[in-house]
Amino acid sequence: MPVETEIIPFLQWLPGAVLYWLLAVVILTVAASLLGLLVAAVEYGPWAAVGKTWRVVTAGVADVVRISPRRVWALTRLAVKESVRRRVVVVFAVFILVLAFAGLFLDPGNPNPARLYLSFVLTATSYLVLLLALFLSAFSLPTDIRTRTLHTVVTKPVRPSEVVLGRMLGFTIIGTGLLLIMALVSYGFVVQGLGHTHTLTAEDLRSVGQAEGSQPRFQIGKTSQDRRHRHQVMIEASGQGRTDVDQGHWHESSVTGSGTDVRYKVGPPKDMLVARVPVYGSLRFRDPEGIDRPEGINVGDEWSYRGFIQGGSPAALIWSFQDVDERTFPEGLPVEMTIGVFRTHKGVIERGILGSVSLRNPRTGLTVELEVFESKEFATKELTIPRKITKFVASPQVVPRKEETPEGVKFTPQQADLDLSLAERREFDLFEDLVDDGRLEVWVRCLEPGQYFGAAQADLYLRAADAPFVLNFVKGYFGIWLQMVLVIGFGVMFSTFLSGSVAMIATLGALVGGFFSQFMTELARGQVHGGGPLEAATRLVMQENLMSELESGVWTTIMQMADTVLKGGLWVISSILPAFGRFSYTEYVAYGFDISRELLLMRSVNAVAFLLPVFVAAYFFLKIREVAR
Amino acid sequence: MTSRRSFYRKIAYLVAIALLLLPLFWLSVPATKDSAGGVLARSRAECGLSEAQLGEIDPTSETIKLATFGLRGVAANVLWEKANRYNMKKDWTNLSATLEQIAKLEPHFIPVWRFQAWRVSYNVSAEFDDYRGRYRWVIKGINFLKEGIRYNENEPVLYWDVGWFTAQKIGRADEHKQFRRLFKEDDDFHGSRPRELRDNWLVGKESFAEAEELVEAGASLRKMSPVLFYSEQPMCQMNYSEALEEEGIFEEKARLSWNQAGRQWHQYGAREIPTSFGDVIRLNDRGASLDRVAELRAQLEEMVPPGLREQIVEERKARLTDAERQVMEIPVSERTMEQHQTAAAVDQKLRVTDEQLAERLTGDQRSLGLELAKKLAETERIADIIGRYQDIVNFEYWRRRADLEQTPQALLARKRIYEARQAFEEQTNLRLAKEKYEEGLTAWRALLDSEQFPGLVQDRDLGRDLIEMIQTYRRILDACDEPFPQDFILQDVVDLHKDQLEQPWPEDGAKEGSN
Repeated sequence: MPVETEIIPFLQWLPGAVLYWLLAVVILTVAASLLGLLVAAVEYGPWAAVGKTWRVVTAGVADVVRISPRRVWALTRLAVKESVRRRVVVVFAVFILVLAFAGLFLDPGNPNPARLYLSFVLTATSYLVLLLALFLSAFSLPTDIRTRTLHTVVTKPVRPSEVVLGRMLGFTIIGTGLLLIMALVSYGFVVQGLGHTHTLTAEDLRSVGQAEGSQPRFQIGKTSQDRRHRHQVMIEASGQGRTDVDQGHWHESSVTGSGTDVRYKVGPPKDMLVARVPVYGSLRFRDPEGIDRPEGINVGDEWSYRGFIQGGSPAALIWSFQDVDERTFPEGLPVEMTIGVFRTHKGVIERGILGSVSLRNPRTGLTVELEVFESKEFATKELTIPRKITKFVASPQVVPRKEETPEGVKFTPQQADLDLSLAERREFDLFEDLVDDGRLEVWVRCLEPGQYFGAAQADLYLRAADAPFVLNFVKGYFGIWLQMVLVIGFGVMFSTFLSGSVAMIATLGALVGGFFSQFMTELARGQVHGGGPLEAATRLVMQENLMSELESGVWTTIMQMADTVLKGGLWVISSILPAFGRFSYTEYVAYGFDISRELLLMRSVNAVAFLLPVFVAAYFFLKIREVAR
Repeated sequence: MTSRRSFYRKIAYLVAIALLLLPLFWLSVPATKDSAGGVLARSRAECGLSEAQLGEIDPTSETIKLATFGLRGVAANVLWEKANRYNMKKDWTNLSATLEQIAKLEPHFIPVWRFQAWRVSYNVSAEFDDYRGRYRWVIKGINFLKEGIRYNENEPVLYWDVGWFTAQKIGRADEHKQFRRLFKEDDDFHGSRPRELRDNWLVGKESFAEAEELVEAGASLRKMSPVLFYSEQPMCQMNYSEALEEEGIFEEKARLSWNQAGRQWHQYGAREIPTSFGDVIRLNDRGASLDRVAELRAQLEEMVPPGLREQIVEERKARLTDAERQVMEIPVSERTMEQHQTAAAVDQKLRVTDEQLAERLTGDQRSLGLELAKKLAETERIADIIGRYQDIVNFEYWRRRADLEQTPQALLARKRIYEARQAFEEQTNLRLAKEKYEEGLTAWRALLDSEQFPGLVQDRDLGRDLIEMIQTYRRILDACDEPFPQDFILQDVVDLHKDQLEQPWPEDGAKEGSN
């Protein structure tokens, strides 16, 4: 799974994020207060305005602090009842309808159907739930105001903060209930949709190798074709075997009985629905001169996610891991990697490019080459490094790390400190000899000259464990839940001062803007080709491509100056809108990676950080409305 | 009063609606078993645009189209953009899914099927390092085209593409040996097709034949060139014959295959091909056209008094300016660009056309001569067009090649060279490789000298083939530590086609064996 932005540990992320949030809140508060002051000044004069503004702010703080949970709960129940009256169940019916027809356009011949099915259910659920949240939240208060139902509420001793919170909670409860049911149905749909087996008959198998007693050593063959794929199967003399990996899964297979009573069995798919818990390291590249670089070679890919190294040279892909200990990996190191290949000549077509995996102690430089492997692009190679290492493909070496510094090439450890005797041993202990204070390096080299290996940081990891898939699936839905709560927050906020349809459009705008906030930020920072909004529009009309220079002149200058202002606006908008896309964990679930606690915490804090100001803003908007007074 | 007015207004609205429904009904009433339907339905049927006429009706596709609420174009655009992004990020799972969605959204937009199938078979497949992965994606692209055919049964270009992908992508890729082997073993692709027919060239040929049938039944070729379109079916047979020999199958099977290829090439040459000049030609007719040109020219020359052409040239020379004369006196190699242009203009001035010659005739002879010159120019023009079209498909080379390859000498020559190569590649018996090579080259000598194929040695394409063989022969000699023979049996081929050598041929003085 491509992880394009590194996930920072929660505690490392928190201080910076809180600071940024506080800064934004202060700026917004000051801006809102100044605006209120200005409006009041125009209406009541400057001195009176200060007093009024002060009163509104203090009353607001009191309103927020003195919220009564009992009244909030009553209003929450009201919102729930109202939602049920407005037939939210329709959304569920649409969902079921979508699932019923999904089988028609979900291709079972896809290279990875699990990924496809999971992406589909999570995306479909998120679209439907977000739409529901949008409609419920945006139309509720305006409808109550229009039908004057709200008047019966505000005549009671309720605070506007309680009205807002009650709505938000009520819609959240309804959405949560619906989301839970959808998650259950989706899970059933995925499991049912992906579950399959194959048949195997005597005609499909042939014997290979004759062991003693004229028993075949293996039987190999092909299973039947089901769900537009089939597997190669290998059954050992014991009668137990397994298939190869195709479409992201494999099956156990067995042969029981003999003679006419022989039975062939292929089990259910394995490793289709998983949640790997990866431990990522940091990646650096060793160039052909043996010097470490932060980036690899670009072999001409448009997407520069992966860096490449040259084969048949000292170049290597080096992952440095921290906190590798016996407690986490008692059985040895389970390494999984997906290595990219770039050939500059045909080489041997019939087989992949040869590469090797080594371990290196970052302190002593002891390097042990453990395995030579054949590359298989876009497939994950699994490798378990045992605790006791007695087999290696080349003599161990002591290799210092070389880095370029302004003072020249720096060696770690220094040449004089190298203990070459370490390499003379023929048996090593993984944790005693190669791991140093939890630190370990995994090196991958390409062994064939003229060929290249490529990787990104997330392409090699230690598979610490497997989390339960169901739990990961639930976490995926938690991401949708966070998105839903945010949409409800924005919807309720807009509905406190806008009419239903306008509030809906505003919330939709926030939603769409939020999904594209990353793009807007890049646009605002000038990281996108084609200039700002006006320049891009001009290029569209003039049919100019993104890269061509615009003719210099007054119009171009004016346009670019106006774009600078517009870009500033875009930056502000992109900064205050939640990046909805980041709350989606679809890729994690679909690619079979556990959603870490860190990520869940980060996004939850993120959501709360947005919801708090949204709630406060909603309260003030409702408070200053006539109906709420 | 107000309620009555309101009632009348409603009645008026109802009447207006009913009246407006009439033309709508006239325009769009759907066709049924018993009636041809309204104007739109009839027009659809006439132009062959109704869903049922275009191909299979797919409820999924229709549902997706309806679900976009008229924003099909926008949706397709977004999906296309997504497909590009997935392609860039090498996310093949999502790319496949997106391509399916695009195709379902625009099932009758032929470029979608062609472009995306190409992307899958040629571009995505090349991203895989494992040749089995590459093969799988090539087949995926072919299946995608077949899916397109399901929706567009009358589109010859889609059948043609299936043929092209099956024949050329599998048969011409770097890994064609592996691809052809996997193709033969691919039960899922072939279903019940017998094993001996599971050759990519033969399977491709079937699709080309289907495409031709559709065109003959009246389907449009769109922007495809007819001369290329029709050439592929016989070319598949040629390539199949070549592949048989490459895989060591000679004798009767190869002879019959070359024979069939020759016959089919002749049939292709006899087919009427519309040209971009507006003429309809047959590639087989070039010889006859040139004969006719010679015959007409002879008739004209008979009518023209001896020396008239030269006389006209002299008269024109006398009219040249001093500057033009000076340029013509400068040797060609020493002329400047400007002088070359002047010289070309002078050549043009001095060229006497048949019509100009006929114009100098007198009496009855003049009108007869002019008539003859006109015919001559027209026949020459047609012969020229045929020649140009022949060059596009290398028509003469393949005609001669099919004739040549089915001769016992050619089969023997190919077989010996094959055996020699096998022995050389396996490095088992270099001496045997050398002997076999020499036998093969001797058989080629006999063919080049045979009266059946005069001027064969000058053929550049065959020359390239032979040069490749000679280079391997040199490598075998090198491996045997033997010098290259001074009196090499195919030295004339080397001399003629030296420019096609991969590595420079040693100069005479430096030739091995010269000492």
